Amino acid sequence: MLADRVWRERDEEAFRVLYRRHTPALYQFALRLVGGNTFDAEDVVQQAWIHAAEGLGAFRWESAFSTWLHGIVLNLCRALFRRADRRWIELKEDSVALAPRQNHDQLDLEAALATLPPGYRTVVILHDVEGFTHEQIAARLEISANTSKSQLSRGRQVLRSLLRPEAVSR
Amino acid sequence: MHNDDRSESSELERAAFAALPRERDPGPALEERIVRALSKRGLLAPGNGPRWIRRPLLAIGVAASVAVFALGVAVGQWLGTRTVTESMAVAQERTAMQAAAAVQRAGSAYVTALAALTAFTELGDSADASSLAQGREAALAALTAAVRELVVLAPDDPLALSIQELIERRWVSGPETDGIEVRNVVWF
Repeated sequence: MLADRVWRERDEEAFRVLYRRHTPALYQFALRLVGGNTFDAEDVVQQAWIHAAEGLGAFRWESAFSTWLHGIVLNLCRALFRRADRRWIELKEDSVALAPRQNHDQLDLEAALATLPPGYRTVVILHDVEGFTHEQIAARLEISANTSKSQLSRGRQVLRSLLRPEAVSR
Repeated sequence: MHNDDRSESSELERAAFAALPRERDPGPALEERIVRALSKRGLLAPGNGPRWIRRPLLAIGVAASVAVFALGVAVGQWLGTRTVTESMAVAQERTAMQAAAAVQRAGSAYVTALAALTAFTELGDSADASSLAQGREAALAALTAAVRELVVLAPDDPLALSIQELIERRWVSGPETDGIEVRNVVWF
């Protein structure tokens, strides 16, 4: 198994195969979470692979490996948000400022996601893009399922206001 | 992983989320960067064989880098007297498509040579430090020259302009700024 070869033999070629198999999905996931900042996304992916390479011995199945890698990326993004003193999941709903509302017509979904506060963005991405349940999100983000639901609801509301401002009645 | 809260979103919204790409290629540079980072931490074994084999390879690699540098200087000065279009047409003697292919091949050769040179930095042999520095300077000179040509080729490209501004600001600055030493290379 590739992971074993990397872990036991420090096999560079095996690592490159693993890297090419998983990185496109990891990079897209990270890029979306950090709001489209390619520099941050690359740093997150690099740190994720370093963490993974340090702990590869514990993994045996490819599917679990992919899920594990995504978990590492998620945690690194959360750490990035905290280091940057950005708004994170602990924010109260009424304290979140909406993203700038100009140029709505030009915003597509990807761009609108990028403008969400990181807390909302993370929950929306995990739920609506990645397909996690609220219980899974709660476990990964160390929040309650109810918080996850409220963050999702609020995040969607902000998204709609960005994408179709005329359709949002407030 | 199954959503348990789909009812609040419309079919259109679900379709929009489903259409978002799940993968994106970050490019080959990140792969090389990560491999180097893992190698430096001892998480990947060096891929160049035992140290006694790598020693001659170091000399070959440095010599190759210097040769590439010298060739680049000569070709660059020659090309510098012509416009981009004329230069590429003369260099390739055929079509723009072939010129573009030549750029791709040269780029691959450049990155490969630089990666080979980078691998030798891990040996930490101070006797080769000047050669490694020369190779690094050659790489930076080539990069700077390439960005200049890219800006001529696409003067409205904001990315190319930003890179040129960043590189040239560091390139022309003396040792008092950013720790970049004064360059000895006169390029194009």
